[in-house]
Amino acid sequence: MEEWQYKPAEDLGMAGTQRLRSARRESGLVGLISRNLWWWWVRGVLRLTERIEVFGREHLPPSAPFVIVANHSSHLDVLVLATALPLRLRNCVLPLAAGDTFFETPAMAAFAANMMNALPLWRKNCGHHAIDTLRHRLVAEPCGYILFPEGTRSRAGQMGPFRHGVGMLVAGAGVPVIPCHLHGTFHALPPGARWPRPGRIRLRVGAACHFENVPNDRTGWHIIAQTLEQSVCALAGSGV
Amino acid sequence: MSATSQERLWGYNHALDTPFARGFLVGLALLLAIAPLCIWLLQVMGKSGPERRRELWARYRSWLLFAPLIVGPILLGAAWTIAAIALMSLLCYREFARATGMFRQPAISCLVVFGILAVTFAVADHWYGLFVAITPLLIALMAAVALCQDQPKGYIQRVALGVLAFIFFGVCFGHLAYFANDTQFRPMLLWLILCIELNDVFAYVVGKTLGRARLAPNTSPNKTVAGALGALLLTTALAAGLGAIVFAGTAIHTPLKLITLGAILSFTGQLGDLTLSSIKRDLGIKDWAATFPGHGGLLDRFNSLLFAAPAVFHYVNYFQGIGMDQAPRILAGR
Repeated sequence: MEEWQYKPAEDLGMAGTQRLRSARRESGLVGLISRNLWWWWVRGVLRLTERIEVFGREHLPPSAPFVIVANHSSHLDVLVLATALPLRLRNCVLPLAAGDTFFETPAMAAFAANMMNALPLWRKNCGHHAIDTLRHRLVAEPCGYILFPEGTRSRAGQMGPFRHGVGMLVAGAGVPVIPCHLHGTFHALPPGARWPRPGRIRLRVGAACHFENVPNDRTGWHIIAQTLEQSVCALAGSGV
Repeated sequence: MSATSQERLWGYNHALDTPFARGFLVGLALLLAIAPLCIWLLQVMGKSGPERRRELWARYRSWLLFAPLIVGPILLGAAWTIAAIALMSLLCYREFARATGMFRQPAISCLVVFGILAVTFAVADHWYGLFVAITPLLIALMAAVALCQDQPKGYIQRVALGVLAFIFFGVCFGHLAYFANDTQFRPMLLWLILCIELNDVFAYVVGKTLGRARLAPNTSPNKTVAGALGALLLTTALAAGLGAIVFAGTAIHTPLKLITLGAILSFTGQLGDLTLSSIKRDLGIKDWAATFPGHGGLLDRFNSLLFAAPAVFHYVNYFQGIGMDQAPRILAGR
């Protein structure tokens, strides 16, 4: 008889916090249900407290793989981005979150992993192996990432320079990168604030960039970072 | 709901009325107290290296956790027993789904979970008709839902894995829970679990001391023919001996029936272990999960119960009847 193909979970053999902190973590039914409940609740709260406008929905990809990049000035950024995605994309999106902030304690790691389906990106010592795992997962699963190339939340509300991380993920891979600009999240929930303030948030989605022909080295990463930074800036200035 | 049903489901004042239940608790407490002494003795006699010792301590610690989690619900009442077995079924299914990759099929996975919950309801309601009906109906539903993706490639694999998972963790474990519909469920369940666990121990000990020829080298390299036969003999004797106390005064209380029951228990227990070992080898994994240090996952611990539960259930039900003196349909009843 023909052999069937089995693909056990990538995180089989890992338990507890080790599994929550792994870039190979895969969520199942429980994760799917808790995630959908979480995003349903977040969407409800955001609808009540903020006025969210989304422009350029037609640029959102039809399916995985994809990478969404945006400027970063608030914890609300990933919430607004994720809830703006249609359900079929939201179910396969994996936000890349700072390991030292979101995966430090077991409780925080459990929340980030189970509710947001986030994967850790260790800013201080992000090894080659971690990036390779993420690159492979993006195409093989396939899934989508939400990434903030500035590497940190802007403290003054102005966009900072884009770092090389996004380039390491997409250089040479046939994955569309969708630049987005968020305006109003810094006012609604600035770094240090505990509760969001009511306000208006604008999300502008730009046309996808492709980097199949960009070399996977420092030069290529720099080109990618610059291209995306310019795209996001252009979206900010496009003002509708 | 009648007073008998209420007492069976929730009452724990009569938990230790039977001599077997009392003896079991005392025996278990003694075993848990003596085990560290045995491990220490092995160390002192130089029979175990540091690696072995660590493994033995890890296993002992896991058992310290398991024992109250298994025995507690059984003593507390039928409702707790049925709920605990349902939880165990769901967690075992989760391990199976993650190992086979089935967890990537949310629709089929949902149906298996629904099936396990439906079986739990049928058991709690003492509604045997529903318990039997769920199997073909759920299989039909699974086949239908798997069509919705409109992806014939891999259709058989998707449906077959779902059906296998439901049969193992819904139906087979459901038979374990159905014991709780009898007023004498406590001694029966404790006896079953004790004999099944000791079956594994006998196979291991006899295999290590007398084993030469391997039973199924590709499927389970550590199992020997001597171990299997030794377990069959010893477990049959133990199960029949203790069964004489558990089934005293019932239709099963004859030497021939008790010995047959013991042999069936041992054989199906080993079969369950080998079956899940074969599945693990097919998948290319070593343990079902890393939940318990020294044991692997829940499925590594409870695999022997898989076929033993329905086999023993139907054997006892045929001669004696299980829950026959109880009113059926206690929740949804007419």
